[in-house]
Amino acid sequence: MEKPQFGKASALGYAEPHIDELLKHSIRTQLESLLKSKVTTEQRVKLLQKSFVEAMTLALSDTKVAHQQLVKAFESMYDQAVQSMALADLSQEVLTRQYISATGLVMSVHNCKHTIKDVYRIKGYARGIDQAIRGKLKNNSTITILYPACGPFAPLLLPLLSYYKNSQTFDSEQIKVILVDVQPGAVMTLKQLITDLQLDDYILQIAEADATQFTPDVAIDLLVLEAMQHGFTKEGQLSIAKHLVQFLNIDGWMIPQSVSIRGMMVIGETEFNQQWKQAEYSHSLNVSGEAQQDRVELGEILTINKSTLLEMQELELQDGIKVIPASQITLPNDVDDMNERILAIYAHIDTFAQEGVGQYDSGITHPKPDTSFYVDGKPRDIEHNHFVANSGDTVQFYYQLTGLPGFVPVKV
Amino acid sequence: MQKYAVFTGSCQSLPAIQYLLQSNKLGCVVLVDAEPNPDLAQLQYWLQQNNIQVVAYNQADDSRVLARLDELAINRALVYMFRHKLRDKLIQYFGGYLVNLHPSPLPEYRGPFPLYWQLRNGEEVTKLTIHRVTESIDDGDIAVDVDIEIHPFDTMNSLQQKVAQVVPYLIDTFCQLDEQQKLSWHKQAEHAHNSAPALTEQQLMVNWYQQTAKQVVNMARAGNVDSGCAIFAVGRDMFQLLQASIVECHLAGLQPGTVIEVDRHQGLLIKTKDAAVRFDVIGTQHGLFDGYRFAVLFGLEAGMSLSDI
Repeated sequence: MEKPQFGKASALGYAEPHIDELLKHSIRTQLESLLKSKVTTEQRVKLLQKSFVEAMTLALSDTKVAHQQLVKAFESMYDQAVQSMALADLSQEVLTRQYISATGLVMSVHNCKHTIKDVYRIKGYARGIDQAIRGKLKNNSTITILYPACGPFAPLLLPLLSYYKNSQTFDSEQIKVILVDVQPGAVMTLKQLITDLQLDDYILQIAEADATQFTPDVAIDLLVLEAMQHGFTKEGQLSIAKHLVQFLNIDGWMIPQSVSIRGMMVIGETEFNQQWKQAEYSHSLNVSGEAQQDRVELGEILTINKSTLLEMQELELQDGIKVIPASQITLPNDVDDMNERILAIYAHIDTFAQEGVGQYDSGITHPKPDTSFYVDGKPRDIEHNHFVANSGDTVQFYYQLTGLPGFVPVKV
Repeated sequence: MQKYAVFTGSCQSLPAIQYLLQSNKLGCVVLVDAEPNPDLAQLQYWLQQNNIQVVAYNQADDSRVLARLDELAINRALVYMFRHKLRDKLIQYFGGYLVNLHPSPLPEYRGPFPLYWQLRNGEEVTKLTIHRVTESIDDGDIAVDVDIEIHPFDTMNSLQQKVAQVVPYLIDTFCQLDEQQKLSWHKQAEHAHNSAPALTEQQLMVNWYQQTAKQVVNMARAGNVDSGCAIFAVGRDMFQLLQASIVECHLAGLQPGTVIEVDRHQGLLIKTKDAAVRFDVIGTQHGLFDGYRFAVLFGLEAGMSLSDI
């Protein structure tokens, strides 16, 4: 295959940027497509805008859209977005840096770029945000939306804003957006993408800041929160939400309006393997009834919404670790094969109104197995920090607000 | 007149052989009659080129070697890098002048891997010691020794080189005292805190729950390059850690073994139970990599755990 001629004077109507070798490697297909199509800058921007509008049109459609059609539209949006990323002149340093901060995992820009392909996460959020915006604009002439830890593509808002602009549903006088991300590479990409999408008028501010420290200059009507991984772990979602909820107007809304985190004891093979052998793709609509029946649900461990966030009390342990008390759960004692089961924690996200992201719809709602939680069994390796309990025991869960947040069980 | 036999099996003893040769005290070199290895083959070639008398050591029978030593009028013997226990007949033959060169402050680090364990335990000074060979390993009275500083960046090879450099000096000191009949033998202390046993597979694995950052760093340099290295696991795959550095880390609530940063300049940082380590050099089947490149190529992400196998 002929090598693309990066870094030379271009006949494409725009100066080809210096593209980091890693980024070039990972988006080679998209870049080759860009070069082969020989589009001008204007044509590229049009294709980008079109891909965003088309993906959002399908996501907001009230008629059923085939899974493959959605996937294709979102792939196209990704292909176009990474071309903007290539133009943002990111160095490898800003592209690949990933680390654990005091409040959670900060993913690399390079890894975050894939979020825009998470079809059902974006669909569930976009539909909810759309309804919330419509609801807010019924009584307000203009609203401010804060989207912290938005990543390089701000995928829950930029496609929606593109759709509004194209369909002339809401203009930039009605919607003002503040985007916040701690990664310099995310901010650089956002600026390029927003320019390419011609959405500058909607953007009030792009802040390079830690969302757990950020203070907006204006009151917020909608707070969009997505920074989380499966099992409500690893990222600083709760610290971000706890900090930023105070800047919501008294009638402001948080999106998602509620996150319910639940626990269950499952047979790993049934839940994570057998259940999906015949399924076309991973989604809450495709879970198997048999596997669902085989679960032993433990109930809700934590609920997060505006009011619980405002009331949430932190406890500080002796070693400086902050925790939030979650629910107490009594382990059932009528399950014969409890010692063969593992704990799995999953989130159900109600974005707004009736919209949401169900279990298995997205990486963030995929049940997370916890192999350190033993009921009626003994760990093989005594060195690890295992939790050991018996059927009938009551377990108090805490949520630890550390560099890798997550649930910690304690026997009552 | 002192006439030495050098019992050895490695080129690392060449400084001792060369010193004795140059000072006309070398009678022969005793080599084990065993499976040849590249190190031994190279030593044999060098001895042949220099017309040095070689005596074969039979592991089952001392009588032939004793007869040969007698023929050559050998009355002293130096054991260095000779991984076989000598039997009583041979020890008796030399009447207290069969001595061993052992690189540790005896009685500390008795055993076959003294330098490895001293590096791994972060010792800052070692000794090269000449002591009498007895039936118990590394247990006989000490004649002379010399201090050798261990640099914090020393590896096995660099420390072995330092030891080799002081071998002629120590043997010279010993020979002069011997000639002047001023050798003063003193007993080893009764108790030792550390030993230097052969390594088990388990001892080569990094244990994130038990080892501090300093211990991981020292384990890596002790193993760098040919002592098995420090092995760490990523899932089911094993890799060699050849060099690591201590990094401060104040993040609370993280399990030891958690990847805390991947950065082109900071590298790959892993939480330990007390601080963190940066992986500087990693050995894989595909070659050597710094931590950053290793993380990118092998898909290590911040938040991953290296302690969950």
